[in-house]
Amino acid sequence: MLFGKKRPYSHPVQEEAKSLYPVLHVAGSLKDYQRELVKKEVASLWELSQVGASFSGVLEEGDQFQEKLQGLGATFSSISLAAEQFGQVRGEIAMAVSDARSQMEALGHTSVQVQQSYESMAETFANLEAAIKGIQITMGKIVSIADQTNILAINASIEAARAGAEGRGFSIVATQVKKLAEEIKELTGEVDSGVNDVQDRANELSQSIAESQQTLGQGTGIVTQAEESFGKITAAADGAVDVQDGITGVIGESQMELQTLCQFFDQIKQQYQKVVTHIRSASRLGTTKSAMFEDMDNMISQLPPLIRDLESDS
Amino acid sequence: MKQFYGMSQRGNLDEALQGLSHPQLIMLLSNKEQFERHVAELEERFPGVPSIGCIGMCYQTGIVENGVGVIAFSDGVSAAANVLENASTMPVKYIQRMEQDLQAVGGSDRDTVCIDFCSGNDACVLTTIYTALRQRGISLVGGTGDQGCVSANGRIYQDAVAYALVHNQNGRVKTYKENIYHQLGNHRFIAAATDRTNYILGTLNGKSAKQVYKDILHVSDQEILTRTFKNPFGKINGDDTCIISIKDVRGSALACFRQVNDSDILILLELGDYRAIVQDTIRQICTDFPRRSAVFSVNCLFRYKLFSEQGYMQNYLRDMSALGNHAGFVGYGEHYNNRFVNQSMTCVVFE
Repeated sequence: MLFGKKRPYSHPVQEEAKSLYPVLHVAGSLKDYQRELVKKEVASLWELSQVGASFSGVLEEGDQFQEKLQGLGATFSSISLAAEQFGQVRGEIAMAVSDARSQMEALGHTSVQVQQSYESMAETFANLEAAIKGIQITMGKIVSIADQTNILAINASIEAARAGAEGRGFSIVATQVKKLAEEIKELTGEVDSGVNDVQDRANELSQSIAESQQTLGQGTGIVTQAEESFGKITAAADGAVDVQDGITGVIGESQMELQTLCQFFDQIKQQYQKVVTHIRSASRLGTTKSAMFEDMDNMISQLPPLIRDLESDS
Repeated sequence: MKQFYGMSQRGNLDEALQGLSHPQLIMLLSNKEQFERHVAELEERFPGVPSIGCIGMCYQTGIVENGVGVIAFSDGVSAAANVLENASTMPVKYIQRMEQDLQAVGGSDRDTVCIDFCSGNDACVLTTIYTALRQRGISLVGGTGDQGCVSANGRIYQDAVAYALVHNQNGRVKTYKENIYHQLGNHRFIAAATDRTNYILGTLNGKSAKQVYKDILHVSDQEILTRTFKNPFGKINGDDTCIISIKDVRGSALACFRQVNDSDILILLELGDYRAIVQDTIRQICTDFPRRSAVFSVNCLFRYKLFSEQGYMQNYLRDMSALGNHAGFVGYGEHYNNRFVNQSMTCVVFE
């Protein structure tokens, strides 16, 4: 056998005296392990209590989070309300713009009518001018006839004076005067007719002006309405600004709320990190306890052979 | 203090001991054919000098796979070596030895370290040793040797742990553990249906451990054993992760290289940027210890295989040599305080 032969060496071979010292050593080491285990158990319990405390913190933070969420819900309701108002304002603006557009179309239409009225007036004035010219011509003829009548009258006077008794010449003159008088009568009729015509034209002009005035009046009304519409648009736009300010304010509040929520999540994260740290510590303690159990097992397992060894020599 | 490293690829102990004088602690790393002879010869060459030894590969600037290596401390060191027997059943029976050695060596958590070579059943042994060390806050670095045997002070023991208490009289000591893996995904498992004696892992979160591993990594039964290089399990212990290698498939369960207990929290690991991690470790050590006398390390056999496969082993040793006097051995499991881990590197740095 390879290692069977024992040779004498310089070192004395030690023979252990039978004693209970090894048993006492095992007991002592087990006591040490027991003390160590108690320490680890206390540390484990402390870690567990810290886990509990950390989770309580998490729950408290959770409650606060719920409140914050409710607050955020109210904020979102405000945003919704503001958005509805904004929609309403937008509708008002759209309506006002639509009105303004209608008014502007009507105004355009009225302008066309005014233009037509003035064209009509220009034509009427042209006709009036022609009528007046006709009167003037007629009046010229009257003046001419009057002049001739005057000459004839002068001639009749001269003849009447020369002949005295001889009335034939006078009768010729008288005839001529009569014809002139008829012509004057006719001309007067023409003048009447011309005057009537002028009157008619003036009436037409008056009517055209009245129509123009009416049309312009309508235009003015439309402009006024358009101004009102634009006023409404401006007011609606001002309302939109208010709503926008409102929304901006609510969004600002929401951002603050969100910031608070972010802070909450940071706090929760810190709490969870604490929990994880404590769980790791507890786990670490658990694994060291496992190693200690192995050591204790290694020590205890030596007791039976030790005792048998002691018994065999006693 | 000074650290001596000597080796012989041919297994010639005299060659390995060339240049060693007045050692205050000797660590022997031998091969299974020559271990007994080497232990005896070493004791004859340096009688009375505290020594521990095991079967395993050693390294400084290169690997000695089947020869012999000697790592020794001298100048400014007080040391004691001894053994706890019945490692698989009742190592506590011998705990008084360690307590007496601690008393003799003196020192404190600041300047004293315990180095151990174990024959197996490491978890129980480490728990037991640490019950004595923790009273003084002394750290432990060590590993498991091959063939189920170790030596202490010129004598070979089976089913035992050989330990050396080293008190650096001229400066500080500090231990390190390097993990080149990180968590894969967010998988977190509760182990159950375990057999702590046979290191069996039955179920993870109530499902077959083998099936869980296969489903996540999409590997066949045959691929599981090699996949452990890249994807071992990790046992969570507080802020620390103890790597657990997969040894074998047992039905629907997995056999591991380390004890797994019911209710242990496990994660699945994946290989990280080991070159960068090694550089980080070196930087950390340089920051902690601007002046270093020696660095003694234990590298897992699986790390050695992985680094060799990746063509990095030689570069790794060259990188570690930047720390100064660096030497160590390849273990079948690494020890760091009271924890038995796989696929890791543990080391102690002497100021």
